[in-house]
Amino acid sequence: MQKDTKYLLEIKDLYLHFTTQIGPVQAVDGVDFKMKKNEAVVILGESGCGKSSLTKAILRLLPRNVGKYEGKVLLNGEDTMLLDDEDYRQQIRWKKMSLVPQAAMTSLNPVLKVGDQVAEPLIIGEGMDKDLAMEKAAEYFQYVGVPVDFLSRYAFELSGGMRQRAALAMALITEPDLVILDEPTSALDVLTQCNIMNLLKRIKMENQASFILVTHDIATSSELANRVAVMYAGEIIEVSDSEIFFNKPLHPYAQKLMASVPRLRGNDELEFIVGKPPSLIGLPEGCRFAPRCPFKHERCDKNPPVVEIGTSLVKCWLHTDSK
Amino acid sequence: MTDKINKTNKMSPDSKRTLKRILKYSAIRLVSLFLTVMVGIFLTIMIANMGGYVDELVKGQVNENLMMRVANDPTYKVMTPERRKTFFQDQLELEYERLGLNQPFMVRSFRFLWNAMRMNLGSAQQMTSDSGSKQVKLIITERLAPSLLLMGTANLTLFFLAITVALTLSRKYGSRVDKFFISLSPLSSMPSWFYGIFFILLFSAVLKILPFSGMIDSPPPRTTGGYILSVLRHLILPASSLIISASFASIYSWRTFFLIYSSEDYVEMAKAKGLPSKLIKRRYILRPTLPTIITSFSLMMITMWMGALLTEKIFGWPGLGSVIVAAVGSFDTAVIVGTTIIYGYLLAITVFVLDFVYALVDPRVKVGQGGN
Repeated sequence: MQKDTKYLLEIKDLYLHFTTQIGPVQAVDGVDFKMKKNEAVVILGESGCGKSSLTKAILRLLPRNVGKYEGKVLLNGEDTMLLDDEDYRQQIRWKKMSLVPQAAMTSLNPVLKVGDQVAEPLIIGEGMDKDLAMEKAAEYFQYVGVPVDFLSRYAFELSGGMRQRAALAMALITEPDLVILDEPTSALDVLTQCNIMNLLKRIKMENQASFILVTHDIATSSELANRVAVMYAGEIIEVSDSEIFFNKPLHPYAQKLMASVPRLRGNDELEFIVGKPPSLIGLPEGCRFAPRCPFKHERCDKNPPVVEIGTSLVKCWLHTDSK
Repeated sequence: MTDKINKTNKMSPDSKRTLKRILKYSAIRLVSLFLTVMVGIFLTIMIANMGGYVDELVKGQVNENLMMRVANDPTYKVMTPERRKTFFQDQLELEYERLGLNQPFMVRSFRFLWNAMRMNLGSAQQMTSDSGSKQVKLIITERLAPSLLLMGTANLTLFFLAITVALTLSRKYGSRVDKFFISLSPLSSMPSWFYGIFFILLFSAVLKILPFSGMIDSPPPRTTGGYILSVLRHLILPASSLIISASFASIYSWRTFFLIYSSEDYVEMAKAKGLPSKLIKRRYILRPTLPTIITSFSLMMITMWMGALLTEKIFGWPGLGSVIVAAVGSFDTAVIVGTTIIYGYLLAITVFVLDFVYALVDPRVKVGQGGN
């Protein structure tokens, strides 16, 4: 069987549901998604649309109350869902995929020196000599702009931005194929956000690394993205190249989303989207955005198909005719 | 090469800083613990003397004794009433001075305190030591070693046992084993001496495999090995009743601590980093939880020392507990105060050692403006 390695990451029909007392939470509900090597893909969406759950599903970081977890996650053409937990840990974790967490403030062990934590994947995962690993950690600290003597500090002695940089160094140190950044800047002030985004741009240019950046911040993501995926209520509703997306998004939700972002030039009044995103428990049939959609019509009661327009994919009835 | 030199140069002020921090921390803790012990002892002195009322009782007793003597002795009958009255008064003052009652109680209580803090414990009113001395210090020191042996064994075993079980249970949250242990936690509401009685009944009376009481067979074995073995055999029941009564509650609460700390983000990060679960358990759950557990342990230890008094009595363990029970029974104030002082010091030392461990385990513990 020939493996299709055109794509670095290929997700097919991925589901992640959580069981709760009031019913299953359909956090990731049939996601299809592909990305090429050296691409930076931004996953956009409002809070509670399942973005973080998608990263958890990709990285197999499952909480206790998982109800349904199935689908395919192909990394370099190999289905990681077929590996058992121990193989997955040894072959995939931090070797192929690493994570920059949402809350770097709390993602570092408070009683362990930062340097030890950054070098840990090398020492434990790759069996590297400790001194050598620490030297490499120092190298990466310099690279992300943290003073090298912070290696022997504890997390509480670092500022928020420093911790985020340390987390970044930790994610890069094993040179994984894919780095997943889960809202890496959302807990930081604007200046630090800007610094981190610039750093990410530099890393992307110099390392040819592949990124998945999960965020709700459209403005900062526009600088980094090659491709943009929009998530709504557990589904990916549009995937486009970033030039196309930021100029002329296809899905009504994406259009509304873009209209809500302030622009430097132009006097357009800022719009907002009426209503709120649906609860992920007991989702109705049909298009999930329909109750808030200005273009709603009869067909929206049925689940819309995914339409391919050029390089874009969109899940909406409106575009079925234009095909 | 230069990198390495740099590194070692940078490490030394760092570790120096840590040492300085810990020294300063311990000094402050020592002083504050000493003050705590002092207040505790002073309160004991006040209570044992009923706030000076015992002085009044003693005075009354002396007064009456002297009066009886003067009234009954024919040699005083020849004196004139005035002469007899001044003689009586002189005798009374002499007696007061002998007993130190001529000074106000507040002054005396501070002298008691000063003596007590210097471990100058005076002599017992009723009790004698095993070697026949009346010295309170001797009565206590004779019994100190067995008490330390029992409490040390029980505390250390409890600490490691409860930590291991609690950590294992927290990783199996919601499982049948977990539910079983949690349902057992009310068993801790029974005091250790209750388990003592139960164990004696079961293991000594019915099964006849362990001794009823005491610390050593009589006659004591001649060889050192036999001696140690005999002590160990006697140690099993009292130690396990202390451990059992405290273990269910501590397993329950420590399991909860472990659960809280396992939901921290850095534990998930450690998992994402592909660390083996044993390492995550040790480095990312046990280490960060340890300070909390040590706090809980030192609080629990205080209750355990109290429970040990009766447990020692029940097992006939020749420790401080037996002494204090006997002293209370015979109203021997000097011994009561003496044992309280020793308990106070022991507890203070224990808490101090645990605090020291705490400062070592948690880098965030800082005193003054230590660190950078």
